[in-house]
Amino acid sequence: MSFPNPAASVKLVLLGEAAVGKSSLVLRFVLNDFQENKEPTIGAAFLTQKCTIGERTIKYEIWDTAGQERFASLAPMYYRNAQAALVVYDITKPASFIKARHWVKELHEQASKDITIALVGNKYDLVENDNDDNEESLRKVSIEEGQGLADEEGLLFFETSAKTAHNVNDVFIGIGSKIPDTSASSSSNNASNGPNHEGGRIDLSSGNSSSQPSDSVH
Amino acid sequence: MATISTYLRNFKEPSKDQLTQLFFAIPETPPTIGKADKDEEPERMEISAVLTLSQDASEDPYPGKLYLLPPYLSFASLDRKSVRFTIPLCTIRRVERLNARAGIYALSLSLWHGMKIVVQLTSLRPTADLFCALLRDALKAELQRGQMKAVKGFVKTCYSEMLVSNTEEGKDAAAHKAEADVADPDSIYLGGLGLKFKYPGDPKKLREASKTKLWTTYLKTHGRNLTLLRYPQCTRLVQVGLPNRLRGEMWETLSGSAYLRFSNPGLFERILKENEGRTSTSTEEIEKDLHRSLPEYSAYQSEDGIGALRRVLQAYSFRNPETGYCQAMNILAAAILIYTSEEQAFWLLEVVCDRLLPGYYSPSMHGTLLDQRVFESLVHRCLPVIHDHFTQVDVQLSVASLPWFLSLFINSMPMVFAFRIIDCFFCMGPKVLFQVALAILKINGEKLLQIQDDGGFIHLMREYFSSLGESAHPKSQDPRARAITRFQELLLVSFREFSVITDDTILNERRKFRSEIVTSIESFSKRSAIRNLKTLERFTKDQAGLIYDALFKAVCIEPPPVAPLPPVALLTTKDGTEERPETRIELKTFKVFLSEVCAWARAEKIVSNGFQQRVDREVAEHELIDRLFFFWDTSFRGALSFQDLVSGLNGVMFNDLMENIEWFFNLHDKNKDGYLTKDEVLTLSESLLFIFRYEIGDAYLGAVSRFMSNAFEYGDALLPRPESSDGDGDIPHIESNQPYMNLATFRMVVLADEILESFFETDFSGTFRLEPVPMMEIPNSNQGLLGGLWHNLVSDDNRKIFQKVTDEIGKTIGKHQVLYRPAIGKFTTLEEPKARESLLTPTMRRSASKASLDASESTPDVSTPPTVPTLSTSSSHLTVDQPGPASAISPSEFSPMPSMFQAAANAAALMERTPFAIDDAKDDDEESDDGSELADDGVMDEVDAFLEAHDSGLTEAERELAKDLINAEPVK
Ligand SMILES: Nc1nc2c(ncn2[C@@H]2O[C@H](COP(=O)(O)OP(=O)(O)OP(=O)(O)O)[C@@H](O)[C@H]2O)c(=O)[nH]1
Ligand SMILES: [Mg+2]
Repeated sequence: MSFPNPAASVKLVLLGEAAVGKSSLVLRFVLNDFQENKEPTIGAAFLTQKCTIGERTIKYEIWDTAGQERFASLAPMYYRNAQAALVVYDITKPASFIKARHWVKELHEQASKDITIALVGNKYDLVENDNDDNEESLRKVSIEEGQGLADEEGLLFFETSAKTAHNVNDVFIGIGSKIPDTSASSSSNNASNGPNHEGGRIDLSSGNSSSQPSDSVH
Repeated sequence: MATISTYLRNFKEPSKDQLTQLFFAIPETPPTIGKADKDEEPERMEISAVLTLSQDASEDPYPGKLYLLPPYLSFASLDRKSVRFTIPLCTIRRVERLNARAGIYALSLSLWHGMKIVVQLTSLRPTADLFCALLRDALKAELQRGQMKAVKGFVKTCYSEMLVSNTEEGKDAAAHKAEADVADPDSIYLGGLGLKFKYPGDPKKLREASKTKLWTTYLKTHGRNLTLLRYPQCTRLVQVGLPNRLRGEMWETLSGSAYLRFSNPGLFERILKENEGRTSTSTEEIEKDLHRSLPEYSAYQSEDGIGALRRVLQAYSFRNPETGYCQAMNILAAAILIYTSEEQAFWLLEVVCDRLLPGYYSPSMHGTLLDQRVFESLVHRCLPVIHDHFTQVDVQLSVASLPWFLSLFINSMPMVFAFRIIDCFFCMGPKVLFQVALAILKINGEKLLQIQDDGGFIHLMREYFSSLGESAHPKSQDPRARAITRFQELLLVSFREFSVITDDTILNERRKFRSEIVTSIESFSKRSAIRNLKTLERFTKDQAGLIYDALFKAVCIEPPPVAPLPPVALLTTKDGTEERPETRIELKTFKVFLSEVCAWARAEKIVSNGFQQRVDREVAEHELIDRLFFFWDTSFRGALSFQDLVSGLNGVMFNDLMENIEWFFNLHDKNKDGYLTKDEVLTLSESLLFIFRYEIGDAYLGAVSRFMSNAFEYGDALLPRPESSDGDGDIPHIESNQPYMNLATFRMVVLADEILESFFETDFSGTFRLEPVPMMEIPNSNQGLLGGLWHNLVSDDNRKIFQKVTDEIGKTIGKHQVLYRPAIGKFTTLEEPKARESLLTPTMRRSASKASLDASESTPDVSTPPTVPTLSTSSSHLTVDQPGPASAISPSEFSPMPSMFQAAANAAALMERTPFAIDDAKDDDEESDDGSELADDGVMDEVDAFLEAHDSGLTEAERELAKDLINAEPVK
């Protein structure tokens, strides 16, 4: 069998606190739709969407994860082998930005070494009409803070609105352009390295960390 | 943030009694009148019996076991599934001993709803007599509690009463009444949001009227709500789906949550009232999700539904602060509320979260993870080909199956179908989820063998779920076969082909994988705790891991009090940064922690008794340790976090000589004014003595005594003198609590002594050591009888007993020896201490007081050669009887995911949830009820499809006897 111009697959995972709008971003990107009351994601949802960037077509395999703290222990199951990640926070919720910082840290430690990460501050529509001298702004995380974290950690950075579609496609195009061609298609070759047959498959530990006990400090 | 939970370790397997109680859904602590008569707890007893239902000759007699579990009476047939009941004793109106054939011992029980059951006690006479006596006592006790009255009020809230009473008044009136009833203000039966907002699904398609009729008949003869007797027909009727209006009540009855509601009247309202206006992390999380729970259902677009959902979820979180709120509970509660009142939903939620799906929604979600592991193992056993394929292409089952279990399929398939599975789940228990999940894989077996990655798996499942309403055999010639939907097929496969999966299977599998899951959760929390430290200070990650291990062990041994999570708002600091709840330890736990990492904070006895040499470790008590605790509590919370411990240790473990001296000085300078008072100098000396308490020889003792005399000598000498007085005047008087000695002086005094100097240079930091903590084993319950026995033998207690015995023997044969291991262990021989000559310059000496001259006289001979320090013995030599260090579990590496091009995969993605069929909702009564023969209706066909041969296991003669008993006369 031969396939006409197979699109390169990119596994992308969304992480971030509950109700920041992860599922809404995906819904906007995939179906160009928005729902006011989106149900919380249980475990994770899986969707796919093709995205053409210049000559290339990328097929995103999107894992949209649950945001509540206690689901965090499931996340490794979804971000293993991911080539891209969106770490999402809500620009009106400072706590969600702290959580985003944690996710970035975790990804750098546990996920694939060459993962492309975009930091996304969502719900831009809520602050869109702010003037500079507006005192009652809903915005609680400034662009500078977001950009600062992104620069520090080497991430792409966007402020988006799933509601108005502001910047949403740009995130995916941005990620797509940053992912090298080879890396995108290599995902299918990696399989030959052989899957892990050892032990339980619900393994909370993932990736390349090692927690061997070390020598004691004197 | 780090929340350390040792809950998983403290898990105990339920005892046989507890399992029985669980099986019969009997509330955990039967409410007794007062705590005072606790010692007079009513006795429990079980006895072999044959159960016969008097009025209904169509039901066979069933042999089984009758359990007296006050305040309940329960029965289960031999196979534990055909026939069973749990009835509150207060619903038994009359008990009679029957006058039957000689040697037969039988009781006739008249129940609240008018049924009569006969139980023939087949044990020996004295046993049967005892049972009767106990039953009589238990009944009497219930009578005294006045519970009979409570029954009356309770049954009024049940829809089944309405159903049955209507039919009793004449069939024609029934339909009318049912209709009128909705508006009838006198009717007090409880119902859900569906009463007002309609039920999901098309009632005609659901064959509501026929099902209701079948149930009415059943409930009339077999009891209802509190007195329901479950015969095979009951299970079969549940399997074809409960009628909407009866659904809530049957869930409650079948799951046993009705007993909770019955025995805790008014509690739900009380919890809400007592906690009115209270906010917590849970209430904030609940608030976020209220509008995100089944938003398509119209009730949840109005305050009716939202308010109900809020109250149920909040009440649960207030009552169970440790579980609080977990996403998925909102969907579950929202679904339940369509069929039940708030109070009923509250108790149902409790039964689901505590008993049916234990640990699913807890902060670690260990129950969810465990059951996913169990499911995988069952797939391996029952569907090995699929399992092998999944392993080969590296697809994880749980990416699809986890939400099935966590939200009882509500999120995965159209709701009308999910509710049918939930019907079975409440009736037959959690094994249903496994049976259905296995059947889903089995039915899709062929296609599953084609999938190549996680995505393909999820796609396939989603397609399958959206086709559940279609015919399973669309091409069949037989119209009856064509009429079977895929959903019906699913249930048939679940209960026919996977009937081998029993409650015991699940329990055994859970036992098998428990410690594996606990280990992986614990190592996950450890990694995130380390990652989330604000700073590692100068430690490596591995070293921080060792600190964490010591902390974890301390928390296991001396659990910190559980504080309810404070509301998020309280945690928000001024700059808008938010802190997360984290585990903080108090002084008691800190002592255990410190004893793990610091040699002088423990007493280590090296005991040799001729049989073995071992080290007994005890946690030391001293003011120094308390002082250290408050010294590290830099945010003055009276409790230390993981970060506090890391930073605290950082402050002491990397110090050089000067830093150590300063650190020690600061530790004792309570008011941080840069001066020690005289009292503090004394305390500091005591601290030194405490640290040196097990050192061999007098060297350190001497050093401390020299330190003290030097300290006061220099201290006095350096005190500022009033201008007026002459050089040789008296020492100015100074209160013992006034600033006395600054750091420079202290440093000088310390450096005056070689032993102290070397102590502060290296030895002190060396008393802190991060070593792999010999972790306690996770209690592994996966043992047979032998394993269990062995485990008992090697339990801590028994080890202690064993050691005590060997010690005693050792003493009698004169081989018992106890040595305290020194914290520093520099001196191994009793060498004479030595010190440098006083640093006091001749001029200073001249100005010093007489007292200080006296002190200088006691300075020992300076010519003593310095002692050669001997290295302390490494601790590992001595830990002979301790279990080896639990090496951290190395995370198995995930290998890259294979991703093959999928021809079938199309670009358009589907929504993650199949939209549910609420738009079909019509009123129940639409369906014409006139003369539709039940057989034609097909419900009975479906019922028959579930018919399993249920041989009661009685011989013909026994059956005869049982039937005879129905007509027997009571004993006069
Ligand atoms: N105003 C505004 N609201 C948004 C935006 N994106 C999402 N929302 C709303 O925020 C809520 C949460 O959105 P979700 O997409 O479900 O959030 P999530 O991150 O997937 O949440 P979890 O699945 O619980 O982790 C919904 O009520 C959305 O309607 C946005 O850009 N602007
Ligand atoms: Mg979501």
